[in-house]
Amino acid sequence: MKKLGIWGLILTLVMGILAACSSDSGSEASGESSDDHVTLTWYLIGTPQPDLEMVMEEVNAYTKEEINTSIDLKLLDWGEYDERMQVITTSGENYDIAFTSSWANNYALNARRGAFMPLNDLIEEHGQEFKEAINPAFLEGAQIDGELYAIPTNKELGQQAVLSFNKELADKHDLDLSSVNSIADLEPLLEVIKNEESGVSPIATFDAYLPFDSILNEEMPFAFRLDGNTDEVVNKYAEDVTMETLTTMHDYYKKGYIKQDAATSTDSWPLETPNWFVRKEIYQPYAESIWSRTAGYEIAVRPLHEPYIFNNSVTGSMQAISATSKHPERAMQFLNLLNTDPYLRNLLDKGIEGTHYEENEEGMITDLPARVESFNMPSFAIGNQFILKLYEDDPADKWEAFEEFNEKSVPSPALGFYFDSNPVRTEIAAISNVTSEFSPALLKGAVDPKEYLPQFNQKLEEAGMQKVIDEIQKQYDAWKSEQ
Amino acid sequence: MHILLGTFAFLCVFPFIYVIIISLSNEASLAENGYQLIPEEWSFEAYAYLWQMRAQIAKAYGVTIAVTVLGTIISVAIIALYAYAISRRQFIYRKQFTFIAFFTMLFSGGMVPFYIVMTQFLDLKNSIWALILPMAVNAFYIIIMRTFFMRTVPEAILESARIDGASEWRIFLTIVLPLSIPGIATIALFSTLAYWNDWFNALLFIDDPSLVPLQSLLMRIESNMDFIQQNSMLTNQNSSILNSIPQDSARMAMVVIATLPIALSYPFFQKYFIRGLTIGGVKD
Repeated sequence: MKKLGIWGLILTLVMGILAACSSDSGSEASGESSDDHVTLTWYLIGTPQPDLEMVMEEVNAYTKEEINTSIDLKLLDWGEYDERMQVITTSGENYDIAFTSSWANNYALNARRGAFMPLNDLIEEHGQEFKEAINPAFLEGAQIDGELYAIPTNKELGQQAVLSFNKELADKHDLDLSSVNSIADLEPLLEVIKNEESGVSPIATFDAYLPFDSILNEEMPFAFRLDGNTDEVVNKYAEDVTMETLTTMHDYYKKGYIKQDAATSTDSWPLETPNWFVRKEIYQPYAESIWSRTAGYEIAVRPLHEPYIFNNSVTGSMQAISATSKHPERAMQFLNLLNTDPYLRNLLDKGIEGTHYEENEEGMITDLPARVESFNMPSFAIGNQFILKLYEDDPADKWEAFEEFNEKSVPSPALGFYFDSNPVRTEIAAISNVTSEFSPALLKGAVDPKEYLPQFNQKLEEAGMQKVIDEIQKQYDAWKSEQ
Repeated sequence: MHILLGTFAFLCVFPFIYVIIISLSNEASLAENGYQLIPEEWSFEAYAYLWQMRAQIAKAYGVTIAVTVLGTIISVAIIALYAYAISRRQFIYRKQFTFIAFFTMLFSGGMVPFYIVMTQFLDLKNSIWALILPMAVNAFYIIIMRTFFMRTVPEAILESARIDGASEWRIFLTIVLPLSIPGIATIALFSTLAYWNDWFNALLFIDDPSLVPLQSLLMRIESNMDFIQQNSMLTNQNSSILNSIPQDSARMAMVVIATLPIALSYPFFQKYFIRGLTIGGVKD
């Protein structure tokens, strides 16, 4: 009896605490009219900024007036955003808006899991202005099974890999960059650099560009071809073009154009240090002038292909409304305002005029020290970029150039197809292990593809690759027939 | 023998010396040559950079010290009281309470339930208590302390104190505690180290920049760096992101200032440490 007594006591205590707590939190939800003032919690990626509070006061004064809403903006650091959002989502915590994308707080995964609210109706009702402001390809490509789960940011639509060159070195040795259209064209240039410049690595370690739209992620073997038979899922490591490209890369490696530690190195090759000749980057209009400014010397670019619209590029930066949100309509109203109202958008991005930046008569701006030091916001992650003010040294037609770039971007065959990996999870885990063993060394040219590609494919086969390819093909065909 | 031990000691200290050397290297020469034992060019740039961040670092230091001091006191108090109670044979529920403590060593609820309890039931998000309370009780230390009490404090002393009319509190505070200083000091050191090095609780529960402890600040910088390297397409277009994060030498300089104080305090604990651990280590 005594024994039972103490356990009983503990049990009652615990239950009591739980009951007391849960009854508190349950009572808020009901009874809200559209006139009530609400506060929205918004999680955004980016390093917390010292002046955030000051700017948010201004933001809230404005949003209160416009839509009777305040914003509680929480910046979570780059490196921990993913993990934090995962815990927050799984714990069912109540929040309203969160940043999501293909590379952080995974959009497709969370949408499928039911963490985000479906938005089609909400946009119809409260997002008309936003719908007009954004390139329709974003709304089209970001839909999962016909439903949009987050609002894409209006930005560059296509993705284009380019080779960028240290122009000073090119000029010094009189190298003709205009002839370079592929990695194979680099050979004569690299040879000159290798022979003439001792402290320079001709190639700043990069992964070879392969013309595929990859499913899951860039390193995994599953992909669609960008030309030829584009409706077929293939193992990109079994394609001829891969063998060719990797052979070229390995040839460069043997000739010493690529650093010896390429396979394992995590060097970030800072632009400020001019110890490289060519590197691979993702382009957007006028990127070369931004890079040149960062580097402190001139950088030239050569495109490797036309800009393609991938799932990754349309879902590169988005805001989702949480399924746990108590004020989804208000959240949609706010996102609509954020993406269409230049004053609000610039305030969140650039800070307060006079404190964080100065504006001249033509409406061009210059950063003041306060913005660089204490209000350095991740501009591309917040919302519509095309209503941002331009800097004095920006080209005046910057946003026009973006629109033009978007116009000429070519949709990838699998744009809008999101693979549900649940049926083949075990195989994917095994394949991912094999991939991370082989692909870094192969893609960076550090090993001979003639020897290692067959081995790699053999192991992929053993890990159950065919089953995954079949599953992707099945889902793709089903998706395609609905288009 | 001395040479052997000396070499071993040097090997232990060497990584730290290396970190100091890197923190004093010139950033450009790091980018070109990688880490070198004797850098081509010495530079105090990294520390100058940290000096710019001094407001943030000072705040983080303040949080870390507050959490460590407060946490150690709370933790030691709870552990000592709990362990003392279950070390006394007269306490009839000692088996149950020992089991409750022991049980937590075998099973844990997992991260998500932990997060839910902390944020939704206890409402500790963005509170300094979120950094202190989760680590206040450690079942393993309770069991070490219990054994320590049973070994070092003879039943006869407690018996005679009781005959002289001392209350339970008085016995605990004036007789048991002074006799157990080595044990207390040991768990105090463990707690201090644990609190000083903790970054995970801050990762989960702290959004407010003014409540971020030092190790967590360091951890954030490190993980940002990793993240940005893996997602290089971000930095290509948004070079300001990379600029806002310290480079190699500055990161090493942060390691130095985050580790030095605790490393220097270590020798002062050491004499208790040896005695306390050997006695407490014997289980029965």
